[in-house]
Amino acid sequence: MTPAVPLALLGLVDSAFSGFRAYAGRDARIRKRRAAVRAALRGLAVGAVLLAAPALAAVLVLLTASDRARTRHALAVGGFGYLLPLCVFAAVVLLSLAAYFVLPFRAGTFAVVVGLGPLTLLRPLAVGAACLGAVLNGGGWCALLVGAVAGAAVLCVEPLAHRRWYRDAQ
Amino acid sequence: MLGVGRLEISDLITAVDAGSGARLPVRRDEVVRRLRESGDERAVRIVRRLPVDRDGVLDPGAVDRLLIGVHTELQRLSEELRIGERLVDPVGPLFDAIREVGGQNGQGGPYRLVDVGCGLGYVVRWLAATNALGPDVELVGVDLDAALVGEADRLARAEGLTCRFVHGNAFGPAEAATVYVSTGLLHHFRGPALGEFFRAQAASPAQAFCHFDIAATRLAPIGAWIFHRARMRHRLGRHDGVVSALRAHSDETLLRAAAVPGMRALLYEPGGLANPFCTTLRPIIGVRPQLEAPFRRALGRAARRMVGEEHFAGAGVVAGAAVGVEAGGAAGAGAGATR
Ligand SMILES: C[S@@+](CC[C@H](N)C(=O)[O-])C[C@H]1O[C@@H](n2cnc3c(N)ncnc32)[C@H](O)[C@@H]1O
Repeated sequence: MTPAVPLALLGLVDSAFSGFRAYAGRDARIRKRRAAVRAALRGLAVGAVLLAAPALAAVLVLLTASDRARTRHALAVGGFGYLLPLCVFAAVVLLSLAAYFVLPFRAGTFAVVVGLGPLTLLRPLAVGAACLGAVLNGGGWCALLVGAVAGAAVLCVEPLAHRRWYRDAQ
Repeated sequence: MLGVGRLEISDLITAVDAGSGARLPVRRDEVVRRLRESGDERAVRIVRRLPVDRDGVLDPGAVDRLLIGVHTELQRLSEELRIGERLVDPVGPLFDAIREVGGQNGQGGPYRLVDVGCGLGYVVRWLAATNALGPDVELVGVDLDAALVGEADRLARAEGLTCRFVHGNAFGPAEAATVYVSTGLLHHFRGPALGEFFRAQAASPAQAFCHFDIAATRLAPIGAWIFHRARMRHRLGRHDGVVSALRAHSDETLLRAAAVPGMRALLYEPGGLANPFCTTLRPIIGVRPQLEAPFRRALGRAARRMVGEEHFAGAGVVAGAAVGVEAGGAAGAGAGATR
């Protein structure tokens, strides 16, 4: 089993949220669900393109490796090590989101103040923890490299989508 | 209070004539001087980047665009914190009580809610879009900033919302209302201006007011920093967001200032009765004395979250000192030289 599929899915979901964040705060209308969905799709598209970078890095690492089987194994275990902290992070985000949407406004405020707000700021830290997880799980430098490229890619989605579509919008 | 000497940049970069409401030129150097005097070098750096003409006067068009951008981001925070629902929580029952008492006296609707310092009018437009207060409540927004009022009006028309916006001063001739509300306005009023604001509404035919502002908890400044950092891009918005939390009035200050003749002052969800993680904004409410009982009935169990001035009986010395300190503090929008 390869961790590539869940990692890619996680990256794409994160990209959709990044697209939404790139748009949020730029449109003062009240009814704007369609625009929000469009922003999420734009983030998804940017993420799909950027996530080709870690895929390419993994392929290059494999092609240039002296022992491909060993490198493949290192990438796989590193990938699982990378996945674990991200899954914990994603679980907390989803829990906060569920609380926000399901519970009354006071509990929703709690979910935002304690969860969603700080978690946005903690995204780079989550990527750092994932890289550390990749190394600690035995992925070595090649997993670290691919993980760092993947992390940089997902963190770039929001600024890129913002610059492309929403910088000048009110 | 820590934030007393701190100034919000948005209060300084626009100015209007108190009488006519006409816009006045603002010199960047003057803003920089005031911010420097307050010891806020970060704010100085933000203001230094704003464009000026040959005479050093801030470009009004650029300032307007900046403030509209900042307020659009601010609206995002209001959306995320569900300010509309939070406002309806006490204001819905308040209108129920007004309808009940009005019905007994043979004075039915229509009623009017006026949002003072409405900015882009998010609350008013949200109320119009959701019809949360009922069709017999007319919705009006008032703000000192003509550019924000113009944008609020444009947004409302773009979505076909039934509400209107007026350029006006909270201290000027009042837009008649049944209930005055505001969100994030009170901390702009320092010293005697706060009491003046409540007294003017008590002297009007209004039945009540309900003004929401940042709950002055120890958590507020750090929460504001995290939230504005995570959700806002404009440096000015991030700066003013944290300063607002630092300048927020305490529960005692609000209750005492709102205890004006003709109104019964009540604080909803004060510190100690509310979880600070769940209540980032809470309202100071003023009702005509005959409205208090029906209002409490309409609130039901939630009425237990509401206290009057007697809640702080015995804390008079401390509260008096707090008011004194704030009276000596920097003038905000309401008490500023030009406003
Ligand atoms: C922090 S903003 C809050 C805006 C809006 N209520 C919200 O919650 O997004 C404060 C607003 O109060 C307005 N304001 C300040 N002093 C005022 C006054 N004396 N009369 C009317 N509006 C005033 C400002 O122009 C600004 O739009």
